[in-house]
Formats: sequence, C-alpha cells, structure tokens
Amino acid sequence: MHEIIQQLDQKREQARLGGGQKRIDAQHTKGKLTARERIELLLDDGTFEEWDMFKEHRCNDFGMAETKIPSDGVVTGYGTINGRMVFIFSQDFTVFGGALSEAHAEKICKIMDKAIQVGAPVIGLNDSGGARIQEGVAALGGYADVFQRNVMASGVIPQISLIMGPCAGGAVYSPAMTDFIFMVKDTSYMFVTGPEVVKTVTHEEVTAEELGGAVTHTSKSGVADLAFENDVDALILLRRFFNYLPLNNKEKPPIRPTQDPADRLDFSLDTLVPDNANKPYDIKELIIKTVDDSDFFEIQPDHAKNIVIGFARMEGQTVGIVANQPMVMAGCLDIKSSIKAGRFVRFCDAFNIPIITFVDVPGFMPGTSQEYGGIIKHGAKLLYAYAECTVPKVTLITRKAYGGAYDVMASKHLRGDVNFAWPSAEIAVMGPKGAVEIIFREDKNDAEKLAAREAEYKAKFANPFVAGARGFIDDVIQPHETRKRICRSLVMLRNKSISNPWRKHGNIPL
Amino acid sequence: MFKKILIANRGEIACRVMKTAKKMGIKTVAVYSEADRDALHVEMADEAVCIGPAPSKESYLVMDKIIAACKQTGAEAVHPGYGFLSENATFSRRLEEEGIIFIGPKHYSVAKMGDKIESKKLALAANVNTIPGYNDAIDTPESAVEIAKGIGYPVMIKASAGGGGKGLRVAFNDQEAFEGFASCKTEAKNAFGDDRVFIEKFVEEPRHIEIQVLGDGHGNCVYLHERECSIQRRHQKVIEEAPSPFLDPATRKAMGEQAVALAKAVNYQSAGTVEFVVGGKDKSFYFLEMNTRLQVEHPVTECITGLDLVELMIRVAAGEKLPFKQEEIPMNGWAMECRINAEDPFRGFLPSTGRLVKFGPPADEAGHVRVDTGVYEGGEISMFYDSMIAKLIVHGPTRDSAIARMRDALNGFVIRGVASNISFQAALMQHPRFLSGNFNTGLIAESYPKGFDASMVPHDDPALLVAVAAAMHRQYLARNAAISGQMPGHEYKPGADFVVRLEDGTDHEVSVVAKDGGWDVTFGGEHYAIRTDWQFGEPLYRGTINNEPFCMQVERRGLKYRLFHWGTQADIMVMTARAAHLQSLMPHKAPPDTSKFLLSPMPGLLTQVAVAPGQEVKAGEVLAKIEAMKMENVLKAERDCVVDAILAKAGESLSVDQPIIGFK
Repeated sequence: MHEIIQQLDQKREQARLGGGQKRIDAQHTKGKLTARERIELLLDDGTFEEWDMFKEHRCNDFGMAETKIPSDGVVTGYGTINGRMVFIFSQDFTVFGGALSEAHAEKICKIMDKAIQVGAPVIGLNDSGGARIQEGVAALGGYADVFQRNVMASGVIPQISLIMGPCAGGAVYSPAMTDFIFMVKDTSYMFVTGPEVVKTVTHEEVTAEELGGAVTHTSKSGVADLAFENDVDALILLRRFFNYLPLNNKEKPPIRPTQDPADRLDFSLDTLVPDNANKPYDIKELIIKTVDDSDFFEIQPDHAKNIVIGFARMEGQTVGIVANQPMVMAGCLDIKSSIKAGRFVRFCDAFNIPIITFVDVPGFMPGTSQEYGGIIKHGAKLLYAYAECTVPKVTLITRKAYGGAYDVMASKHLRGDVNFAWPSAEIAVMGPKGAVEIIFREDKNDAEKLAAREAEYKAKFANPFVAGARGFIDDVIQPHETRKRICRSLVMLRNKSISNPWRKHGNIPL
Repeated sequence: MFKKILIANRGEIACRVMKTAKKMGIKTVAVYSEADRDALHVEMADEAVCIGPAPSKESYLVMDKIIAACKQTGAEAVHPGYGFLSENATFSRRLEEEGIIFIGPKHYSVAKMGDKIESKKLALAANVNTIPGYNDAIDTPESAVEIAKGIGYPVMIKASAGGGGKGLRVAFNDQEAFEGFASCKTEAKNAFGDDRVFIEKFVEEPRHIEIQVLGDGHGNCVYLHERECSIQRRHQKVIEEAPSPFLDPATRKAMGEQAVALAKAVNYQSAGTVEFVVGGKDKSFYFLEMNTRLQVEHPVTECITGLDLVELMIRVAAGEKLPFKQEEIPMNGWAMECRINAEDPFRGFLPSTGRLVKFGPPADEAGHVRVDTGVYEGGEISMFYDSMIAKLIVHGPTRDSAIARMRDALNGFVIRGVASNISFQAALMQHPRFLSGNFNTGLIAESYPKGFDASMVPHDDPALLVAVAAAMHRQYLARNAAISGQMPGHEYKPGADFVVRLEDGTDHEVSVVAKDGGWDVTFGGEHYAIRTDWQFGEPLYRGTINNEPFCMQVERRGLKYRLFHWGTQADIMVMTARAAHLQSLMPHKAPPDTSKFLLSPMPGLLTQVAVAPGQEVKAGEVLAKIEAMKMENVLKAERDCVVDAILAKAGESLSVDQPIIGFK
C-alpha cells in the first residue's frame, strides 16, 4: 500500500513538471509563469483542487502516441479567491505549446459544466499556440464544444479570460464570448489571422504586438478590458477584480463591509462642475469621491475614454458605474463608447449589480464616420441595454443632458429608479446656442437678438427644474451630498423586483 | 477704530488680514477678479466686490476699481496685503485724497523706499551700512560693463523697481554683465514699466537677513528682531525662520537700530521690513532695500514675539500709539515657515495649475502649527497668479524642535490634483547644512545644481516604511477576508508572513500579527507595534509606532503601496514569499522612450513653436515657449536633433506631458 501511495506522489510530481524543466525555464525566460504557478498566485493558498491531472490525448498520428504528457496541456479544477469558489483552467504552454486537443477541450468542458451546475465563475488563463494540428477536426470539434459552453454559461456565471500568451485563430472566440478579457503586456496577443497571413492577403506589414497585443486591444479595438504589466500583476489584480462579482446570476453581488460612512459629505464636489459650460472636468473625481473607500476598479480605461465604466462599492455592495467623461470629446456618445457601455450595462443586469450612471453628455457625435459606421444601430445598443435592464438604476445628471443622449443615459423614461440632478444640470434638447439658432432662425443675422434669446433660453431650460417639474428628475441635490443620497437610494432599492415580458430573447441591434 | 476695511488683495494674505479684522470686530470687504469668484477670501469676507477680469493688471492692480469698491461698500480703510498695490505710492496717495486710510506707511515713505536708488541714498544719509555700488540708473550695456569692472566682480544687476526675484542678475564677467544688463532692462520694463537698472557689489557667502520694523504716527519706531531668509531658490524665498541661527545679540541690536534709524528717516508709520545682506564670513551687513509692506514671512515674527502684526498695522493706521517699547518686545523660541507652492520639484519646479482634488493642511492638536492659506479642497489654482498656495509655520522652543515639528507637519500636508514642493521642503528640512545653521543664499543652487529628484531624499529609517507597508497590506487582506459568499468552512484566512520588496530590490521578510487597534510587525529581529485607526482610501496613515506618533501619506497603486514620509516617496510591494519569488522572474520593463518627443513639462499655453519640420536643431536652441503662471518658459533642445513633426499648435492649451514636437 505504501508503495502505491508513493507512486501516486511520483505520478503527480511528474505531471506537475508539464513539458519538463527545460520548457519551464524557457517559459520563465520569456517573462511568463507556468500554468501551475499562475494558479498558485490566483487562488487562495492551498485551495486548488485539480481535476484530470492524469488525462492524456488519444492521438496516434504523426508520432503523437509516443509523446503523451499527463494533463495534456491544460490544468483544470476549482479553488477559492478570498474564500469564494471559482473554476479555473490554465493552459500549459510547456506541453505541446498549450495546443488544444480533444482531451484538452474535454477537460475545459468538464469544469465549465460543473461551474454552471454549481453556480460559480470560470476563469480561463489562455496560453496556447492554437489547435493541436495533429488531431485535425477532433481539435476543432473541441473548440466548438468550449464555444457552446461559453454561450450556455453566458449570463449564468461570470466568465473571465486572462490572455497570457498567444491566442490566435479560432481560439480567440472562446475568450471573445466571455464577460471580460484581460491581457498581459508584451507577452500576449490575440488575432484571428496572424501577421504572416495578413501580409499575404492584404500586403500589410504588421508585428504581432501591433496587430493583436495588449495595448492594441485595450486602446484601439476594445476587445480586451485591461492590460497588465506582467503575469504577477495580472493575477493578483484579477483577485481584486473577482471580489466585485457575484458567483452566479441568482446571487446578489457580494458585500464587503466598509467603514466609509454612507452619510459622508464631500464639499469639494460643490466646485467640481466649472462655471464655464465648455470647460471640462474629470468625472473620475466624482466617482472616486462617491464610492466606498475611494476604490474604483475601472475597465477599459484606454478605450472609448469618453465614457467611463467600472466597478465600485456602495455601503459594501458592488455597483457598476457608467459615466460620461467631459475630459474626452466633451463626453459625447459615439460608436465605441455606446458599445463599451452597452455591454457593461448588460453584464451588470445579468448579474444583479445595481448601476449608477453619472450623466454629462452633450449628445451623439456627429459626422460621416459615425453615420457610415452605423452609430444608429450601435447607439441603440446602449439604449436597448438600459431599457431592458431590471437591476436598480440610480442616475445623476451633473451638467449636460442633451437630446437623445439624455434619454439613453438611464433616464426616468427608461425605468431609471432614482434620477437625481445637480443644480448645474441642463436638461434640454440641445445646448442654448444651437437651440436658439433653430427656434429663432429669422434672427440669425442679428447677433444681439440671438444673444438675448440665448440668455432667455438658458434661463428657461438650462437647469434641472423644468425636468423636475415633469417628474423626470426625482430631486435636485447638492453635490456634496451625492454619496449619501445614492447610498440611501440603493438601500431603498435592494429588494426591487420587476420583470420583462416572457420571450425567447430580445433582439438587441447587434 | 475702523468699522469696515477693504482688503485689496487675494489668496492667503487676504484671508490672513480678514482673520485679524474679524477678531477686532471690523467688517471686511473683499475684492476679486472673475477668476477668483469662488476663492476663499471672497467667502470669508462680509462683502465682496468683483473688480474685473482675471489678469491682475485688469483687476487687482486697477486703483480706480478698488477706490470705487471702497466707496460702494463704505470701507474706511484699505489693507493692501503684499504684492499688487501694496508698495505703490500713487495708490496710497490717491486713497488719502479720497479720504480713505491706507493701512500701511505714508505715501512719501513708500515713494522714497520704493525707489532702490533713492532708498540707498537715504540709507547712506542715515548712517546705515550700504553695499558699494553705482547708485544711478545706467543707460547702455557698455557703461554697465565699465561700472561693473570698477566695482569688481561679482556684481549684481538690479532693476530699480524690482522685487521678489524679478529683474535681478548676477554677473561674474564682462559678458555676463553685458547680457545681464540688457535682459534685466527688458524684464524690468515688462514687469514694472520702469527700466532703470543699477549695479552693485555682490557679497559672497551672503545671507539674507531682514529686520521687521514697526512705527506709529507718534514718532515711535521699534524693531521686532530679524528673519533669516537665506534659503532661496532663484532669489525666491523658500524657507524663512526667526530668529536667525547666525546673528549674535550684538549684531542683532546693531542691525535693528540701523533699521529703525532708516525707518525714522522716512517717518515710517506701519509695519515694514529692512532687508540686509549679511556676509557669511565676517557678519558684515549691508542695507539692501526696505519693503514698505507686510511681508509674506511675517508669521515667524509673530510667533516669536507673540504679536499680531496685522492688528498693529490696523491700530497704527487708525492713529493709535504703539503699545510697547523696544525693550518690552519678547523673543520667544524658534519659528519657521515653509512656502508651499504649486510647483513640481521633480520637473524643474515648473508651476502646476489645476483643481485641488485634495487639500488637507496638517492637523495642529498642540497649537504649534499655523497654516496661512487662501485655497481649499476643490478650489482651482489658476495660471493668473503666483504659485504660493499656503504657508506652513511652526513654532518650537528651539531650532531643532521647530525643524522636527516642520518635518511632521510636512508629512501631514495632503495636496492632490496639483503638484507641490512639499517633498523638496522636506528634503531641505534634513539637509545637513540647513540643520547646522551654517548656510547662505547659495544653499539650494549649490546642493541641487542639476535640479531635484526623488533619489535625493533617502529615508533616515527605511524600517518604518517596511513596517507600515506590511501593516497596510495585512489590513487590506483582512478586508478581503470579510467578503460575503465564501465557501462555508473554507473561508479565506490571511497569512502572517510576507516579503516586503523596496524599490531598490531589497527584500525584507516580515511577520504581521493583528492586535487590538493595530498590527505588530516583526522583522530583522525588531518589533514594531503599529497602532492606527487608518481606514482604506484615507491619504493619511496616522498613529503610533512603538508609542511614537507618526504620520505618513499612503496610496495603493496597483500592487504597490506608495508611502510618502519625510520627503521620501517609496513604492513598496508586499507579497507572500512565493509570490515574491515569482515576481522576481518577471522581466524588468524600461519606461517608454520619450526622447523622440518634446513633451510639455507643465500645463500651460503654447505661445510659440520656434522650429519647423525637417529643421536641424543644435543642443540649446529654442524649440518652443510655454506660458504658465504669468511666466514664459523656454524649452530648449537637450541635444542635436532633426525635427520630424510639429504636434501642437501655438495658441493651444497644453496638458502636462503632451507631445509638442516629434524628432527623427
């Protein structure tokens, strides 16, 4: 018996070495950690329960029968992050370059199935050269099996992808369907076709980093949500991110007790909005001064910066924040920002996370590039998301809320639960200048008259009280009491219950 | 006594004057420019009058508007503060003509002392020591060189109407005298509208020590001891203290008596300051100039004498007699003042403007700390006025205790949103020459010839940083452990053992144990009992370490804890030993190469781009000019290069680090 037990230890020891010490060293030389080292950092110490350690591929072609390595290039199982359960798969680049085989895919599917059944998130640590070519269609089938599960899990359990190496071709579509994609700078890339194919087909010369590196995807394409400096940064900060998420769609978001008083006043907010309507200010200051402990976890900070999204807590409970950013393009809505915020709103709604919306929006971005790019349909995504959403929605208009963009940004009309405005709010079809030029077209050559009309319009409409008179605004609040008022609203809304009519699914303008 | 006075100033000094007026039961009137609509001095005043657009020459410097404001509000007297119209004899005379009292010296005293050449002649007549020099306005650079030669180098070239470091050049040779004269003349013309320039001997190892005088309308005049103002950067005072560590009682008395003699020579009837340059080698002292106003640094004098100079100014202006005699003036303990400026010491002290996202002056539980300021959290530091946002003043029984208190106070001064010179001040507070008291006006230029950077402030006791970072980290873990939804029976339990990694790469193995009201940290065989009520997100980490009070500024940035203490800024990581090992495997990434760009070193207005694409530029050539805080900043090429592209247009408002020019 003793010997048998020893054999198990030896087998494990061997499996833990993956592709062997040489390949582990090579992985380290590239500035990357191994699949198991990554799990160690991500999970609470000693909580990883590994499954299928002894699983092997079943391919006998091209000499593969002789090279079987236990675990087959992916480490799977479950464990905890700060005591909260999570399923995990971590591709092992030291084994066949992390290439996905049928068996490899089966391991991933197994933990995903279980995660859906028990209601726990899945985190994938991707580091794979692609499909195991030797296996042919079996590997492709494996991908599709994973895709199908990604879709089934979507909106049921949170799915997070951390790209820590190559992720190319069909492989990208699994992360693409997860809720969040994080990447590691300089060592990870994602693309559908690599630089060589790009060169052959379109004659573009581009490096892998330019084509699909972390910076590209977090600033240009918006495919990825965050870029981290290195593996250690990524994994430890992912622990921090995980703390915001509920485990599944039936749970309320987690509560982390805070000492930050719900009735904390901040008088510096009284001067946040500048006197001059064309002068920008940083909406992140409002976010940071409103939420618990000044802790704001921003997502996609470098993409579509005219809208800010991210997680924070109010009285310990996770909230999603969506805010127009006046510092960038005056905070207007455009294609990228609508998609960015729309998807985030839907995530929050799927997982019962209340949404706080800070509004300072001059409207939708005009221009041919926007119209040709389909701003009508893309802008509609954000509108659709807010309208469909049933979680608590608290909205605060700080300054401009003009035109259709006013409607979109969690207005009362889209079932906003509590809609506040600061005294500086201007809720109107458009800014005074533009409005006057249309209403009083006959005065267009009389600057003096127009100025007087503008002043009149400003006095009449450039304030929150017109909307307040109609009940579109529940209250006009002092900036310094923002935290207190939002906290109270969210507590009031904790047991909010509304539902949409039964349907197979809606038809969001994709 | 007056019932209502108007303060013709802004910022901290306007607030300072109002404080005393309120104490005396006098109503106050503020004046403000459009940029200062929400300023603290407007808030503090009983009444406020807007006197025009932001530029001071259209508001704070317009006499008519201030006089109109007096009439409109019924103010009987005007306190001018410092700067602006405080030393303008015309203003003082015009007020007199309007029947409004100027809380300051009579206009004839101001006129005589305001002219540097005139004042020097007066000083000579009053038997006050003066520096050898040429006391008449000089016309051409050629004659400037001749005169400089006659006096003997080094010489100082000064604008007659200059002050505050403006219109001032030191020349060590003919060429510098030639160039210095020309640029001094231009600057004087632009800044003061008076291009008269004179030349004098430059005293070596000079200390700048000034005597506070106070006269009344009844022929009394006393001196309130000295202020040591030698710590200067580019002729701008940085730290002031009273008394001076350099003066003996005999010199103090001699200087004081000469200062009083000079004041009496112009029938001086208010608070004023007689500036002397004192030779660091022989304690010889020479009269420099008399400032016929309240000085920025007057609080240090107030601390050691227990007097309220503003109150005395007001009383004297109202015709009262000085309530004490020379021998009754106390000199109690040691006071020190740091000027807290909105400038970035790590970027060549360039001015920083913007919103004060956080502004928290240090706490003063024991009554040793005084903060004079005109700003508040959420306020705006505009580009229109000078960069001083607060004065931090401490008082202690001895110089050492004052320095210790200043170091603590600097630790607790929170400023976010704009850069401040706090780390530089903290560095000076531990500079050996400053501590010794043996320094002169060259201390900063000599100690930081190539500027100032973070590495110049090593921490005296890095163990403190290690212990605090470890305790903070453990507190964050404890918070994680409290999150809801954990697997029952398998909850997260933070460990006790960590590795603390400092910026220099050194690792320290520590263990942290939770205790009532804090954490016990052990490492290197030492024990640190940290007791604190710090909460997440608070910028100040205050408490005790082994029963010694301490205060640090802290911020969590990603995996790093940024601690700021005694001027040192340290980015520290705390991890498990395993994580620390894996972290060591991570590649070191060099910061992105920005040498291909000229980046804006500060927020400001791009006034000129002096080069064009394709142009070859030699090191030292002018590339662009930026205007910020009324100052024109010339950006020069650091090395030979070829211009590739112009990335910003003249007239554009720049943010910090915005690329202006790309190079090939």
